Amino acid sequence: MTGWTRGQALLRVLVLAGPLLALYSTALIGSAPAGWLAALTAVLCLAFAAMPESAFGSAAMLLVLAWWGISLRDGLHPEALLAAAGLLMSHVAALLASYGPGDLPVDGAVARTWLRRALLVFLVAPVVWALSAVLRDQPEAPGIWLAGLVAAIAAALVASAAFAVRSPDSGASR
Amino acid sequence: MTGWRATAALSRSLVVGAVGIGLAVLAGEPVLVVLTAPLIMCGAMGLAYRPTRTPRLATRLDHSSLHEGQGTTSRLVLDDADDVEHVTRVAAGAPYVAMHPSNGRLGRMAGHGSADVEVSPRRWGRRLLGEERIGLSTAWAGYRWGPVPMIGDEMRVVPATAPFDSRAEAPQPVGLVGAHRSARVGTGTEFSGIRPFQPGDRLRRIHWRVSVRTDRLHVTTSRAEEDTGVLLVVDALADHGRSEGVDGAASSLDLTVRAAAAIAEHHLRQGDRVALRVIGRGGEQVGYGAGPRHLRVLLGTLAGVRPQELWDGQLDRLRFRTSAGTEVIVLSPMLSEAVATATATLVRRGLPTLVIDTLPPDAVPGVAEGTDPLLADLAWRMRRIEREQVLARLSGLGCPVVEWRGPGTLDDVLRRLARRSQLPRVRIR
Repeated sequence: MTGWTRGQALLRVLVLAGPLLALYSTALIGSAPAGWLAALTAVLCLAFAAMPESAFGSAAMLLVLAWWGISLRDGLHPEALLAAAGLLMSHVAALLASYGPGDLPVDGAVARTWLRRALLVFLVAPVVWALSAVLRDQPEAPGIWLAGLVAAIAAALVASAAFAVRSPDSGASR
Repeated sequence: MTGWRATAALSRSLVVGAVGIGLAVLAGEPVLVVLTAPLIMCGAMGLAYRPTRTPRLATRLDHSSLHEGQGTTSRLVLDDADDVEHVTRVAAGAPYVAMHPSNGRLGRMAGHGSADVEVSPRRWGRRLLGEERIGLSTAWAGYRWGPVPMIGDEMRVVPATAPFDSRAEAPQPVGLVGAHRSARVGTGTEFSGIRPFQPGDRLRRIHWRVSVRTDRLHVTTSRAEEDTGVLLVVDALADHGRSEGVDGAASSLDLTVRAAAAIAEHHLRQGDRVALRVIGRGGEQVGYGAGPRHLRVLLGTLAGVRPQELWDGQLDRLRFRTSAGTEVIVLSPMLSEAVATATATLVRRGLPTLVIDTLPPDAVPGVAEGTDPLLADLAWRMRRIEREQVLARLSGLGCPVVEWRGPGTLDDVLRRLARRSQLPRVRIR
């Protein structure tokens, strides 16, 4: 862990904190995770922070998903948005950390680009949450959630393709 | 490793997203879709920018030959890189090469020309930049190319010409046209004397006042102005002391090479002919020449000097091709008997020879691991005492020994040599 730049150390903290934040979001609703589960997640997160390209990250996130699915049966609480933000934060921080070795300085322009992207993709979460909340009391139509998600992804793809900045030498935007 | 590969981030977002959607559908928990939707978006964007081209990488130095202390840029040249959004460059450090960023690592967005590393060699010689590893990523970090290992570029670093100037004239100029006053009478500006007019003398040289007084035509004479030949003898048998580059402490070879470069530049600027002879295993030598192109040749040869002992037998073949009047400047820490003997031979031949002592005062010997430090110190002190005796004997032969001090180092000794050259002497052949 020695040799990390300050930016890299900050990224590792975010990688570590994201899944734990998502896990403990259920505590706000009155369903705190068991100690062993928190400890297991923390260990996985530590390994993920040390090795951002490893599968420990996926394991930690899947644990969080499982906890959310088990602890809150039929619950659609706004705290889920906090959990989604935590998972996304950890994912993006790990992605930035995996661009190079631990002593690679984090470039400001790259960090700002990914912050914008994270904010952009996070917008999908409240949209899906609101859609779920609106349709919750309606008679359930099979595949409605998947259809909504696919539609959101398609919309975001189109939006990103339209607004992402192309390199200056191409002289156009995408 | 070349070829585009999916990144861990893409795999993670797709795996977590797929499992999340699966669990949501199976358990009827829409909250899991909320949790995984942003990750799925990241994965989808990574897939959307799937690369279709094969980039080509190369690194290029703006300048492959430069002076120590100067800087240049190591550029990353990317072709067919429309799919590339981010570039990671990790360059290993190299001795005596400063880099910016200082650790040689940078990760930047491509297309801004910012994946360039500034390098500055801090010591003369041939410098090989450290091996690099370069990684490329597509937009949204879905795919990665590399890291590709790249061999570091080589650059030739010529010694910085330390500030040096000398107003002293050459001891025995014997060339054709130059800036040094010759002992001969000829066409020049320096007054030599007045003598009776002879057929062939120019009328404008008639000294009217003396002619009227003596009732006979007299003319003024002047001393010829000639160039001189300078032979620089560089002792590259060993490197004593610590070298910290152009800004720090200098080793004996640093002082030798930099002083040789400075003296060569000074004399070539004056129009003299300068030759170089390196005493070392390589035995590099450059013949007499003048002008800026010759200076580049000399500096290039000095940049290639490496400290190496002579082969057996090379010592006996140590000969210097010098003509009468050639000014010989030996740059050496004078710790080798061979160099001292060669110098004494040159002095005995009647050549104006001087030694520039380039042993740093704080030089310590490099000893093999496990050597008793007290023993090493004792041996070094004995070696230095022997060296002092050698220098004293050279002085006794009439060969001045001076320490390199930059500007004005040679003025006094060259003047003394010039005065001595006017005196009658016995030449030993």
